[in-house]
Amino acid sequence: MMNFVLFLSAFFILGGLAVASNPSPYYGVVGLVVASAAGCGWLVSLGVSFMSLVLVMVYLGGMLVVFVYSVSLAADPYPEAWNDWRVIGYGVGLGLVVIVGIVLGGLLECWPGGVSVNNAGVSWVRLDFGGAAMFYSWGAGLFLVGGWGLLLTLFVVLELVRGLSRGAIRAV
Amino acid sequence: MSFLHLSFYSAFTLSALGLAFHRTHLISALLCLESMILSMYVALTIWPIHTQTPSSTIIPILILTFSACEAGTGLALLVASTRTHGSDHLHNFNLLQC
Repeated sequence: MMNFVLFLSAFFILGGLAVASNPSPYYGVVGLVVASAAGCGWLVSLGVSFMSLVLVMVYLGGMLVVFVYSVSLAADPYPEAWNDWRVIGYGVGLGLVVIVGIVLGGLLECWPGGVSVNNAGVSWVRLDFGGAAMFYSWGAGLFLVGGWGLLLTLFVVLELVRGLSRGAIRAV
Repeated sequence: MSFLHLSFYSAFTLSALGLAFHRTHLISALLCLESMILSMYVALTIWPIHTQTPSSTIIPILILTFSACEAGTGLALLVASTRTHGSDHLHNFNLLQC
């Protein structure tokens, strides 16, 4: 089981590396999808399946879908794929940074340990379900603040793309 | 440092470096920002597991809410830039260039 967690966390880092080496946006989104899928699997293997569900529905199924069709605005006639020397250079350079950091920080004391998510049988409800349910009881104020922020963002986006001499970033 | 911490720490650092060394497209920088938020979400979810405090699981969900706001605003800026300049290349943002 620990090897599976290591495998998923390795794919998490590799997805981050794929995004950070800045290929053409078509390929960067692939790295982000791999990283978020690995992160979801990692959270499930740790036991907090509700947080994984929230991540996959809101992040992967909401935000990344919007990003995927927004990269059509960023189309290149000759996209830099993974075998482009600039992408490989960035990937190798950033990978070296991570490896040097690991070596200098000491790899041998890094090994995952086992934790439980239901207080080892004491709680009736699992840790993530009980915690997220507090959004509706004690955390109702935070819930309303989050909802207000989302409503405000709707109007911010409307004003940004309105255009025709009244929107932001207009040169004409 | 445990391996779990190392994993999301290095993913965050990689994405931050990718944001700092952006090249041509604005949306590549936005994707690096999204990757930073993803690693922050995973980190904030692992923390209540280690400390066994269920009430802290609200925090990653709240972070995800505000990151959705920020992603929407970033994409609106992308659309505005494309409608003005025809592309989202970063060298188009030269209004404040000295």
